[in-house]
Amino acid sequence: MDFSFKEKSVIVSLVVTLLIFGWYFYRVFFNLALTANEALSVSDLIGIITLIVILEIVIHAFVAIREKSPVENERDKLIELVSCRNGYWTLCVGIWFLFIHLIIEGSATWFNLYHNLIFMSPSYLAHLLLLFFVLAEVVFFVTQIYYYRKGTQVV
Amino acid sequence: MSQQTLATKVNVTRQTIIAIEKDKYSPSLEVAFKISNIFGEPLENVFNYE
Repeated sequence: MDFSFKEKSVIVSLVVTLLIFGWYFYRVFFNLALTANEALSVSDLIGIITLIVILEIVIHAFVAIREKSPVENERDKLIELVSCRNGYWTLCVGIWFLFIHLIIEGSATWFNLYHNLIFMSPSYLAHLLLLFFVLAEVVFFVTQIYYYRKGTQVV
Repeated sequence: MSQQTLATKVNVTRQTIIAIEKDKYSPSLEVAFKISNIFGEPLENVFNYE
């Protein structure tokens, strides 16, 4: 298959995001008790973002060296815009889900104290918000790859 | 003329030229006119709408 520089760049970003945030969320959501008791570690988050930035720079530099014409043209911009719309809708759904979750869980504090201790903790909610943000990013990358392969006539 | 040569002249990527050929992408009027100018043909001889 023939990939443009931009398409390779999107694939790299998708793989890096899935690997690093996949590992992070696996660690967070499969250890709920830990999440409830620990605040969202800022140092963890900074570490992850730094790792992503370093990996993206190194891999992109490697891809760009091998590429003859790393230019972005109108097709790339169109695909990016349409995919950005898809990512936006994913983020909207996530925000609404979180909003409804807050209202429902918040109004039942008397119901189950332990349950609310976990699912209403600031750390858990912050992680949930981060999860939806990352999901929106993943949708943004995946739909870009889809439009590169299937064409923009389906837009 | 190779796809790469045409792409360089139009200032797009080779993958965009391939996408136009395979009917996976409709170019902007600017790019369409550039392509038809390069081939020295009227626009309707190079592109057609089905």
